[in-house]
Amino acid sequence: MATNNPSVFLLTVNGQIEGANFPEHDNLYCKYCYVYGHDWAPTTGLEEGITQITCKNSQTQRLVWNFPLETTFKSTNPFGWPQLVVSVYGPDVFGNDVVRGYGATHIPFTPGQHKRSIPMFVPEPTWRLQKFTGWLLGRRPEYTDPKVVAQGEGREVTRVCSQGSVTVSFHIMSKDMKKMGYDVGPSHVHSATPD
Amino acid sequence: MAELHIIGQIIGASGFPQKSLFCKWEVHTGGAWRLLSGLKEGQTQVDSPHSGEMAYWSHPIDLHYATKGLQGWPKLHLQVWHQDSFGRYQLYGYGYCHVPSSPGHHRISCVTWRPLGSWQEQLARIFVGGGPQLRNPDLIYSGADRYRLHTEAMGTVNLELGVIIRHFDKHGVES
Repeated sequence: MATNNPSVFLLTVNGQIEGANFPEHDNLYCKYCYVYGHDWAPTTGLEEGITQITCKNSQTQRLVWNFPLETTFKSTNPFGWPQLVVSVYGPDVFGNDVVRGYGATHIPFTPGQHKRSIPMFVPEPTWRLQKFTGWLLGRRPEYTDPKVVAQGEGREVTRVCSQGSVTVSFHIMSKDMKKMGYDVGPSHVHSATPD
Repeated sequence: MAELHIIGQIIGASGFPQKSLFCKWEVHTGGAWRLLSGLKEGQTQVDSPHSGEMAYWSHPIDLHYATKGLQGWPKLHLQVWHQDSFGRYQLYGYGYCHVPSSPGHHRISCVTWRPLGSWQEQLARIFVGGGPQLRNPDLIYSGADRYRLHTEAMGTVNLELGVIIRHFDKHGVES
């Protein structure tokens, strides 16, 4: 057990998907998953999940999920730092389940509390006719694998329309990063990123 | 050897005349730096916001550098382009910013500018679009020949960059 010269560090993520802000849509649920590099592996907790379906409060117009996130990762290298990918779905006028937004954010790496507002976007069809038939038949463009949202390659040909945001809060702890020589900056008390 | 990790996102842009924007980005470093993993250049998606003014790209950046010296600290070069409904591209701005040198999370607003051109070119730009572009994009980050340029201010690009450093203190660097 090399405690003086560790080769592996741990990252503990506790938090919740608090809710969302979608002015034009209601009755939404959210799927989440983690995307990480080859040097990373989750040790405990769930890697993916689905929230409940929520509808807006009539007074505040907020959508609330309050969905728990509790995962620990181990790694030898900060490259490939985990990202949280969220995709929001809801019914359209005809009752079909369509995607309302994709988004991704890196898990913060400074220990402490963080709040992130993740902007959401949907792929947009390029043709007006495709847009109309998509609306009529409930078959909108979707990513075959939502993890694409966490990657930088291949995005240059996609057209998207951004709408809404998802609010997530994190409490981050790490173990042995300092012993391995990494300096991640001062601990964080609270960070509210505006929409 | 000291190491540097840059982990973050190009969040989006605001303050440009039209929506439907994308960004070409590149990270430039000096000769002492070596890229160990990650992509140092790319192009974001094209975003037209449904409501509001800010275009959101959420383009991830994850880079791992090893270095023998502090000269040539990484700089991020940005070019914001506009794509219209016919698929034509038009330059909307050049900008650059240094990657922060202190570890932790940083929110950065990078200002952009574009070359102005003669009054005929400005008039043509209003009706037809297009406009002068830099033949040599090195001018974006070097100060050497900038005095010849006449430019106008464009919008800002918002980034969130996180910096993790390793073994900098062993070499006596304070940041």
